[in-house]
Amino acid sequence: MLSRRHAFSVLSAIALATGSLVTAAPAAELQKASLRLKWLPQAQFAGFYVAAAKGYYKAEGIDLTINPGGPNLLTENLVATGADTFGLSGGTDSVFAARDKGLPIVCIGVSHQITPFIFVTRKDGPVKTIQDFKGKTVTTWFTGANHVLNGMLAKEGIKPDELKIQPQQVSVTPFVDGSVDVVTATYYNEFYTIQSRMPKDSLKTFVAEDYGITFPRDTLIVAEATAKEKPELVKAFLRASLKGWKDAFADPKGAVDTVMATAPTLDRAQQEFMLTEVKRLMTSGAAAKNGMFWIDADAVKTAHDFFLKYGVISKPLDLAAAYDASFIQGVPQADRLP
Amino acid sequence: MSSPVATSLGEAGAAARSMAMPAPLRKLIRLLLGLVVAAVIWEGAVQLFGIRPYYLPRLSTILMAIAATPRAYVDGFLRTLAETLIGFASGGAFGVLMGVVFFRVRALREMVFPIFVVSQTIPVIAFGALVVLWFGNTLLAKAIIAFYLTFFPVTVNTLLGLETVDPKQVALMRSFGASNRQLLLRLQLPTALPQIFVALRLAASLSLVGAIVGEWFGDTTGLGVLLLQAMFTENVVAIWAALLAAALLGTGFYAVVAAVERRLVFWNAEQ
Amino acid sequence: MSRAFASPSLAVQRGILGAVLLVACWEGAARGLHLPAYVLPAVSDILAGLWSKRATLIDAAGYTLLEALVGYGLGCLIGIGLAVAIALVPALRSAILPLATAINSVPVVGYSPLILLWFGIGVSSKIVMVAMAVSFTILLSMLAGLDRVDRRAVDLMKSFGASRFGVLWRLRLPTALPLLLAGMRVSTVRSVIVAIVTEMLGAHGGLGWVIYQAVLQIDFVQVWAAIFVASAASLAFFGLIGFLERKILFWT
Repeated sequence: MLSRRHAFSVLSAIALATGSLVTAAPAAELQKASLRLKWLPQAQFAGFYVAAAKGYYKAEGIDLTINPGGPNLLTENLVATGADTFGLSGGTDSVFAARDKGLPIVCIGVSHQITPFIFVTRKDGPVKTIQDFKGKTVTTWFTGANHVLNGMLAKEGIKPDELKIQPQQVSVTPFVDGSVDVVTATYYNEFYTIQSRMPKDSLKTFVAEDYGITFPRDTLIVAEATAKEKPELVKAFLRASLKGWKDAFADPKGAVDTVMATAPTLDRAQQEFMLTEVKRLMTSGAAAKNGMFWIDADAVKTAHDFFLKYGVISKPLDLAAAYDASFIQGVPQADRLP
Repeated sequence: MSSPVATSLGEAGAAARSMAMPAPLRKLIRLLLGLVVAAVIWEGAVQLFGIRPYYLPRLSTILMAIAATPRAYVDGFLRTLAETLIGFASGGAFGVLMGVVFFRVRALREMVFPIFVVSQTIPVIAFGALVVLWFGNTLLAKAIIAFYLTFFPVTVNTLLGLETVDPKQVALMRSFGASNRQLLLRLQLPTALPQIFVALRLAASLSLVGAIVGEWFGDTTGLGVLLLQAMFTENVVAIWAALLAAALLGTGFYAVVAAVERRLVFWNAEQ
Repeated sequence: MSRAFASPSLAVQRGILGAVLLVACWEGAARGLHLPAYVLPAVSDILAGLWSKRATLIDAAGYTLLEALVGYGLGCLIGIGLAVAIALVPALRSAILPLATAINSVPVVGYSPLILLWFGIGVSSKIVMVAMAVSFTILLSMLAGLDRVDRRAVDLMKSFGASRFGVLWRLRLPTALPLLLAGMRVSTVRSVIVAIVTEMLGAHGGLGWVIYQAVLQIDFVQVWAAIFVASAASLAFFGLIGFLERKILFWT
């Protein structure tokens, strides 16, 4: 446990991104900050939106703007350049890749403790086991899910070029129509869409944990400079976010209302489903005992060794520098548990 | 099937004409009638041909979707409008300025103009990824992308317009002792104005493109944001709703620029 | 533009000087300020990266150019076809033009979400997008060109018994050619850009796809290398059409 005690009283200008949604009353003590999400607004990020709506960030002295992610953004880049203060980034894989490329970011919390990706196929189709993936059309996202796929294949001794791996489309229609054999889905998003078009018992899923692989995802990151110079800001952010998430799980309907207020064109039923699944992902594994956003050092090390072995990163990384658990550990355990 | 409708609309049009209303009002009524006809055709065609909502939903469905969450569309419209305006204004101003500079200083033109040309071959969306990195999620970033798309056509056309100035008129003004500045403001720019407005009309559409594409880089509000969100939730009705709003914005802005042109360039009979 | 340049060789020299100065400033800023690659890589690094990844980039450029060329051809056919139809059957103008203008009041890139949902992320969606972008410009250019014809020449031909089609073929089309070709020239760069923009939202390959991947892999040297290649591809396409234009319009 690293203990860093710094006494700073300097308020340096932080993010260039203050957005136009800042409607804070001009309280002099509020620090401006922004959180960059990893995707478009949805219930996956409910806790942050709830915390913002209920003023938890303001109560901690932070004037937080929540910026959505999207298909052309990488949160690590934006946090590294200072365009955003905090980021909810892809996962342990993207954090490792960013550190490998020298981006000065640090992970301060892990949201999804178990792999959120599953591979879905038809139960009555030609794919019964992972070995049957060979020669089939498998679609996946090259933003992290591909590592899960490659890991599972590697455990089974299959090489990626023995399948037809293609980038996955926005729509799950090709899978539903049968032109794609195996599709990648997140528990909380695409799996819902697929189940709304095909009965659940007609589907077969392949789960990474069954093959001994766990990919923690949705990592909270800050810039190294922020972690060093503004540890109180980081802790305050974590405290407020945790409060927001606790409220979101306690009142899921209200949480979905908050999210839908930001993105009114979302489908309510899907968002409620999403929140339930996200709760499961955030409270599994090490989080069951230690609370949300816990950094499980063992899971991180296993993932790191995996990535090193398969060339996702070019050299071993300093895990202590990349993952700083001191901030989340600084929050009382009771506040971390839902 | 549509003849009673057409007849009554025709009668309404004739009535409007015969009442000797002022021209702009007549134009407006004709426009509204045209829109009503289009709306009726849209609604009718979708129902008649059984077009699946996945391809083309009924207009009523789309309008109801907008009415269900009006704030998103109004906020989005205003935000995108703001980005478009700022990009347009800055791109237009910079374009005119550069046009004048290039006109005056040949050496600079020959040095910098090719770079301008090449800059336009850079795909704006790739540029957008970098702009957001540098400037964050701000209005400024989107306005910069809109500016980037706008300044070049305005520069080219300003230059083109300035070159159409009659050298004899220049000589005449100089014989009266006109300074360079007076020459610019009283002869050259007014002569170039028609050509500049050709570019400004084009720029009106281009700055909207810049604003929408810019919003695809993690913005919170805007028509581009609504489009992207709708795409990733496969909500075709929402996509069409955002497209309608964007069409309204684009047409409206273009019409305003064209109207300004008609007032400023009143001597131009080439309408 | 003969008045625009003092003499061709001096203009070219100055153009080269301008480019060199820009590159020098860029290199100086990147190296002197020690800018990290994810802010602004040095030109030399980009060129080195371009060379080392040239196989990937050339492949991607080919993919994108294919989409752009096919879409461009399709767009030209549609635009020219509609314009000719209007020329032959003037009543069609009030049907086609308002519809086309309405569709085009939304920026073409706005349609990409819709087109990607309908056509998937393969080449067909990009071809459709490029065709949409190009056809309207070509339609307007061609119509402007066809309308430009001298009424008296048309009357003269008709007095000799020329059919509507004959007038079109022998008089109006050749007169329309300069404006059409100007529109075609302008559309070339747009084709490549629209193809790339659409690729960045979903594709199997191409320069937009390369840029998208490179951003995710935090390889900004690759992003810029792909941008350079895209730029070169657009200019090449533009040059090709310009060259063809000069060959066809040898009388201007």
